[in-house]
Amino acid sequence: MTFVIKNIFLFLVMLASNVFTQSTLKQQYEYANQLFNHEKYFDAITEFKRLKLFDKENQFAFESNLLIGKSYKAGAKFDEAVKYLTFAEIYAKNEEEYFVAKTLNARTNILRRTNKQAERILNDLLNDQRFISNQKETKYWIGWNYIFSDDWEKAYEIFNENNLDTALANLCKSVNDKMYNVNFAKYSSYLIPGFGQFYTGEYISGTLSLGWNILFGYLTINAFIEDRIFDAIIIGNFLWLRFYSGNVQNAEKFAVQKNLEISNKALEYLQNSFMGEKP
Amino acid sequence: MIINKKYFLLFITIFQLTNYSQTDWVRWEKSDPTYQIADTYHERDYDLSIESTSDVIVKPVIIAYWFFISDVDGANCPFHPSCSSFLAQSMKETNLVQGTLMFFDRFTRDTNVFGRHEHYSLFGTNHYYDPISSYTLDENRIEYIPANTYIKE
Amino acid sequence: MLKIFFFISLLSSLIISQEINFNSPQNLKLFADYLFCDKDYLRAIDEYEKYLSVFADDSIQFKIAVGYSAINDQSNAYKKFSSIKITSSFYEQSKIEMLKSLYLQNIDSSFYSFADVLINSQSPFSNNAYRLKNTSLLFIQNDIPEKERFLIPFENEEKNELSNFYDLKNNPPYKSEVWAGIFSTIIPGAGKIYTQEYGDGITAFILTGLFAYLAYTNFEHDHPTRAWIFTAVGAGFYAGNIYGSIASAQIFNARVNFEFDEGVKLFLEEKNYFAPTYDFCN
Repeated sequence: MTFVIKNIFLFLVMLASNVFTQSTLKQQYEYANQLFNHEKYFDAITEFKRLKLFDKENQFAFESNLLIGKSYKAGAKFDEAVKYLTFAEIYAKNEEEYFVAKTLNARTNILRRTNKQAERILNDLLNDQRFISNQKETKYWIGWNYIFSDDWEKAYEIFNENNLDTALANLCKSVNDKMYNVNFAKYSSYLIPGFGQFYTGEYISGTLSLGWNILFGYLTINAFIEDRIFDAIIIGNFLWLRFYSGNVQNAEKFAVQKNLEISNKALEYLQNSFMGEKP
Repeated sequence: MIINKKYFLLFITIFQLTNYSQTDWVRWEKSDPTYQIADTYHERDYDLSIESTSDVIVKPVIIAYWFFISDVDGANCPFHPSCSSFLAQSMKETNLVQGTLMFFDRFTRDTNVFGRHEHYSLFGTNHYYDPISSYTLDENRIEYIPANTYIKE
Repeated sequence: MLKIFFFISLLSSLIISQEINFNSPQNLKLFADYLFCDKDYLRAIDEYEKYLSVFADDSIQFKIAVGYSAINDQSNAYKKFSSIKITSSFYEQSKIEMLKSLYLQNIDSSFYSFADVLINSQSPFSNNAYRLKNTSLLFIQNDIPEKERFLIPFENEEKNELSNFYDLKNNPPYKSEVWAGIFSTIIPGAGKIYTQEYGDGITAFILTGLFAYLAYTNFEHDHPTRAWIFTAVGAGFYAGNIYGSIASAQIFNARVNFEFDEGVKLFLEEKNYFAPTYDFCN
């Protein structure tokens, strides 16, 4: 009888000791989490690191690595964030946690503009049978990754698919519709100098390009007709060709520049006014 | 653990190699970097204000050159600042005569297509960095930058 | 009965020991050591400071100073190193570290006077201070001691390198701006070739020659307007090249100075500024 009582007593003590350890770790976790919630990210990282060191059983390894990663992400320290989020993936205790860490990792890569990396992570999740029920969320971030890759057409397709996000789909469509076709601007200017500039609304530059090309084209051809071959080669090579290639370069540059302005305007809206979830 | 051991060990190895906490050597706060794509397009400074005697002659000539020729004949200058901007800035920082001499010297360097990689630092993706400060004959203003070093735009 | 009481007491103490006090001095130190070895120096310093508020420990003081030095906060590093007491086993190391911090802040009179104090002391690091002082002399414009004297504190394998630096300091392979200008005045482009800008030199020669030829033939064929235009442009290239050759010599010399300074800096970095290295993590 005495032996049984002793054993029960010992068991209770061991249990209590474990509970005590866990409770202090939990307290530390809560303290660190509080700092995180108050946006004191640098200090939150310190406290999560402290938790990690004393958490010998890795009871909070997932949470601390995830929140360290999130803190670095909030401080725009994306390289560090990716490291700790990868740690969180390693210490995930179940598939749900793994998905959370992996998705956050992809979102950090989107912000870091390492879009290939984000694409790889998201495609892995999309093709993983364990996460079929999370496909909608994964596709949402794939759409954002296209936005950050400046591919508004593909972003529209993703958001429009099964009405994933109508607001974003509409925005992406309107941005895509406004975009200038860079190749059209460039190659139309090969045919008619200044055309690409007119297409992008740069009428003065287009007129000047057209004017110079007509003038030097005329002078070159005229010199050939009058058998002034040397003059023709010099004017043709150093003037006509210069303004002709300059015209094509400018047409392309204007289209790229205008597209950048359109993209940036949309990105500014997304960052400051869009109410949905962002990377 | 959801991830296999091999992946874990590989990650740890990479992490060990790259784990320098320099990010945290200075306290930092929350940061909200812009979503927008950096715009590296440089607007011309079409400034017609007259600050010196040489500006009366030079500025209208340079601005007319930019407007009628330079802006429409494509990116032909391999340097930053471009030859015409170099002329405008060197006249602003020195005087009419010195600025003209600096421009002729720049034009000679522009004509020489050999050995640029071994000589100049790089500005952006398409230009060599060749600042006015290296040519004013004021030794204290020369900031030597080794060839092939990238200058932040 | 007594046995049971003893048993319960033992277990109670076990329970208490299982509760982690994150802010106990031992745990603060443990965490700080972990951060320090992870090169997370700023956080490590904060934790060590908390520990120091409970226990005076010169090794921790020293580690805080080393941490500041590692993150290049030399001002705080100097302060912390200087707070190490003479009774500490880290006292002598802290002195040479103070000199290193002063050097990394600015090579000024306070650096030299502190170096002299250390050189003339009985410190085991007095020769290290002597070497750092002499190497730093390579950066200043004033006269440096004669070569023999300059090389005294250095070890044999360092002597060759320092001897080269010394020679470069006293006879830098500069190009003369005057000669560059004169050469280009005599032969367009020659000044640039003298400053090793061969491509620019040849281009200047061709451009000046071409416009001179165009001016000459146009004068010869009685086209004065064109001839004067070519003359003006040719003169521009000629004068511009003389100017450019002088500028080129200045740039060449700036490169010589830059490469010399970088070489000495690299040498000092490799030598850890003649301060000892510490291994607190193994």
